[in-house]
Amino acid sequence: MKLRTKLTLFNTISKLVIVTLFVLLLPVLIKNLNVNYTDTRLRKQRDEVLQTVRRQGIGSYIQTGESDYAAYTPIKDVYVSIEEDTLGEKLDTIQNEKRKVEADTIAYRILSHNFKADRKNYLLEIGISLDSVNERTGPLQSIAFIVLVGMIILTIVADQLYSDYILRPLGIIIKTKLVGNKFPNFGTFKQVETSTDDFQHLDLSIHQMIQTIESTFQKEREFISNASHELMTPISILQSKIENMFEEETVADELKVRLLEMQRILNRLKSITKTLLLISQIENDQFLKEDNITVSALLQEVYDEISIRLQDKNLSFEMAVHDDITLTKVNKFLLFNLFFNLVNNAIKYNRENGTITVEGIKEGNNYVVNIIDTGIGISTTDLPIIFNRFKKLKQALQQDSFGLGLPIVKSIADFHHIKIEVISEKGVGSMFKLVFNLL
Amino acid sequence: MNVLIIEDEKALARELEIFLSNNNYICEVCFDGTSASEKVAINLYDFILIDLGLPDYEGLDLLKEAKKSNPEAAYIILTARAEINDRIKGLDMGADDYLAKPFSLLELQSRMQAITRRKFGLKNNIIELGDFLVNLTDRVIIHDGTEIASITKKEFDLIAYLILHKNRTVTRNQLSEHIWGSIINDDYDSNYIDAHIKNIRKKLNAHASPEWLETVRGLGYKIKIST
Repeated sequence: MKLRTKLTLFNTISKLVIVTLFVLLLPVLIKNLNVNYTDTRLRKQRDEVLQTVRRQGIGSYIQTGESDYAAYTPIKDVYVSIEEDTLGEKLDTIQNEKRKVEADTIAYRILSHNFKADRKNYLLEIGISLDSVNERTGPLQSIAFIVLVGMIILTIVADQLYSDYILRPLGIIIKTKLVGNKFPNFGTFKQVETSTDDFQHLDLSIHQMIQTIESTFQKEREFISNASHELMTPISILQSKIENMFEEETVADELKVRLLEMQRILNRLKSITKTLLLISQIENDQFLKEDNITVSALLQEVYDEISIRLQDKNLSFEMAVHDDITLTKVNKFLLFNLFFNLVNNAIKYNRENGTITVEGIKEGNNYVVNIIDTGIGISTTDLPIIFNRFKKLKQALQQDSFGLGLPIVKSIADFHHIKIEVISEKGVGSMFKLVFNLL
Repeated sequence: MNVLIIEDEKALARELEIFLSNNNYICEVCFDGTSASEKVAINLYDFILIDLGLPDYEGLDLLKEAKKSNPEAAYIILTARAEINDRIKGLDMGADDYLAKPFSLLELQSRMQAITRRKFGLKNNIIELGDFLVNLTDRVIIHDGTEIASITKKEFDLIAYLILHKNRTVTRNQLSEHIWGSIINDDYDSNYIDAHIKNIRKKLNAHASPEWLETVRGLGYKIKIST
């Protein structure tokens, strides 16, 4: 999952949790708020009544001869009552109780308080009907809810915009420097614009890493190129010396046989060196791609060079170029060597009286050349390593090779952007499929 | 013929000198570009073999310089730096051939003979071998006035190479280097030359016995031509 998606998801979920919690708590909160507010009102009312009594005497409420006082608002949502208290307990409470007023029984929040006036005890009750208290709860709740939702939407949008903005450099770094065949990208370094230190650091680190890889690649190529060049001269001297000695009349034939053995060993060294040099030249882009050649002509040339090798095992060779096309902008020398090595392998690892089939087929935008043999095949465990340099597979050990045939094929194919697929079954045979993209 | 060998590797220069002297060339050797430059200014040569990787001289400059004083000479570039561009440049500047080290001495000789034939117009190109006539120009083998058409290009190449080095044992390695030298593959010890020779013998035997084509046991092949 992408970092951006994760951040968005976290933001949204955390905010949803807050909203849910708040919505669940809202009624309780509003109720508490209301009760507190009501109680404050009740106490204020009480203080006002007591003050009036102190200043004007109880007579302002209770006329002489009467024992109580009561007053209601017209819809009976608030009432005040004062009566003589006979119990004489000290009382100062606020609680919910029901009172019968005229014909109705109404639930009130009631403050009860007793006080002394004119040497008599009085009980003061102030009540606010619970209906009127609760009336306010609904609108309060919805206002709070709307404000909350609005704020949360606002913050989600703001979070989203900000994280988009702040993460954009990371996206650019990934897209331009790390994705797919762009890594390692040996092109010129272009710093990604960002004010975030972490991204600057990341960008720079990736760049330094790529530089290290590039210089290692370069050093390896240079080394192989230089080493093989340097080896050419001593090999040349040895070969000339062996050839000159071979010509000497005074050298006996049995010594000449040994000279030939030396020459064979030298040949091995020569082949390895030449092959490594070729691979390094391909990798250093020293070959031009300016030739045009038809597939059939190229395969025919390979066949002409290689047909003599079919005799030994009595192999039959079938060339089936169903759709002939001209390959443009290729290097003929390299492609010849690519096919030569593949067909040569098909011969080397074939069985007696086996067959080799070379097919050329157009498949949509691709041109496919299949080289199919009836040889010993490659085991599934070996398949991933067959293109590695100097990797000799067990079944190849009896052959006079040093494990560079397929690496040459791979280098040439990469150089021409040809895709290679290998399908093989042990004991049945192998198929090397070369896919040329014609677009 | 006079040959100037310009090669800074003394051991290699020495082997070239031995080989070419044995084959009736008159050799002079220079180990550096400065002395070579002096030599080409004074003397005339038929062949100049130039190693491009000289320590004191840019090989291609030396070629240009030598071309002025020795325009008639044939030039063969020898180099260990098998850069593709060097080859093209060298041939563009008028070199007649180009040999990448390591090369076989027989290959060098066959290139020199090919140049000689081209440049100096030696016409002796029909060789009599027993009951066969080999025409090196038209690249055909004739028996009783008719061409043996079944001989392939490769097979003719082999016969021509053995004729060029007549009366000398040519090893399988020298033959396969001549025939497959430019192909890069990871076989270093193939015996496909034997298969070719077998085929040649079979094809010729249908007409007459090619007893002149000898197998030298354990060493290689030889074409015997009495001179």
